[in-house]
Amino acid sequence: MQKPIATTRSASGIPTGRLAIWWLLASEIVIFGGLLACYLLFRLGHPEWADAAAVTNTAIGATNTFVLLTSSFTAVLAHQAAERGDGKKAARFLVFTIIGACLFLGIKSYEWWYEISHGYTITSNGFWSFYYTAAGLHAAHVIAGAIAMGFVAKDAAQGKELQRVELVGIYWHFVDVVWIFLFPLLYIAK
Amino acid sequence: MTEHIDQTAPHDAGEHHDDGHHDVNYAKIYVALLVLLVISILGPELGITWVTLITAFGIALVKATMVINNFMHLKWEKNFIKWALVVSLLFVALFFFGVAPDVMKHDGLRWVNDAAIASVERGIEPPHGEEGEHAAEDGEGEDHAEEGDDTTVEGEGATETVAAAFSAPDAYSATCATCHGPNGGGDGPGAAALDPQPASFATTEFWDGVTRESMVNVIQNGGAAEGLSAAMPAWGALYSDDEIQQIVDYVETFQP
Repeated sequence: MQKPIATTRSASGIPTGRLAIWWLLASEIVIFGGLLACYLLFRLGHPEWADAAAVTNTAIGATNTFVLLTSSFTAVLAHQAAERGDGKKAARFLVFTIIGACLFLGIKSYEWWYEISHGYTITSNGFWSFYYTAAGLHAAHVIAGAIAMGFVAKDAAQGKELQRVELVGIYWHFVDVVWIFLFPLLYIAK
Repeated sequence: MTEHIDQTAPHDAGEHHDDGHHDVNYAKIYVALLVLLVISILGPELGITWVTLITAFGIALVKATMVINNFMHLKWEKNFIKWALVVSLLFVALFFFGVAPDVMKHDGLRWVNDAAIASVERGIEPPHGEEGEHAAEDGEGEDHAEEGDDTTVEGEGATETVAAAFSAPDAYSATCATCHGPNGGGDGPGAAALDPQPASFATTEFWDGVTRESMVNVIQNGGAAEGLSAAMPAWGALYSDDEIQQIVDYVETFQP
């Protein structure tokens, strides 16, 4: 089987695919970091935003944190299975992770539907603008990750391209890490 | 940066189902993460500020570190990967501290961000409020450098405020009351930061020194246009001539 060059080349001492994922994440840090830095700047300068943050549903946020942590766990189990050469098991764990992603998005949809139907929209004020922008950008990453994992799982089930299980996992853990910070920022801090 | 070979990732280039170095008890990490999650939810319930900060944000840092080290295996990664990520974080920090003085402070030596001050004053309205009120908040991020010559900046945030039917008292409370006070006493929340102090419309001295034309000119073109404080912004881009006349009529009601 002809492997892509990124799979086999390792000029830097680590597989090129993994290097690429880390570079991607380095740029993602600036995207999410910049957004969260802006949020912090305004939040600290506007004590009244606490009133809006109090409206967000901590229980839903916590449930989604739980879902993402669990999906990260299944993603790393997929990686472990791939390391042991068990593509079928890796694919199965990736499917669990995708289910976690869908669950996360479903809960998020319900949450947004509830908030929007109660009049809290992206134009309500600064807090809600950040809330929908940050959570929306994050949700877009969840969708992208779920799609990518679908492709990787399809190959992995046939024992192909097992190294990609780790790569998509690293990306997925990053999405989890972003949510770990979004959760206290948007839900807990009152 | 030095590379310690023994700490770094495998030397193999392709798939790595061979090395046993990722020997992490993932289930244990997962359970620890869940325990931390529970603490980070319960801690802030106590309502003590420092407990909230530690449990919400301190634990978020711990959780993120655990995921990054054990799930993403960053601790086994080559050092230059860590450096690349740290450099990204440094850029974010540079950005944060670079703009923090402008965004987080609402006044300074020669400027007042009156939209932000008004926004803090007003607080967050419940939803389904009046459209105009929400529109007014959109301007809260604008720093209004009050040099008297920045009509374009001033106009941005508040144009939508008057999209609804114009009312002089509303316009006064939206744009003037921050410094001149709700009853024209020159005692608004923004007044403390200003030198010279904003005019009080409740004194006879004020009315002795002005004409209707000079008031219109100051509102339209800023204090500097009449040789007065440059901290008084120009509102000509925001209000029409007729609206400014109505505002002057309203200000006259404060006359003692």
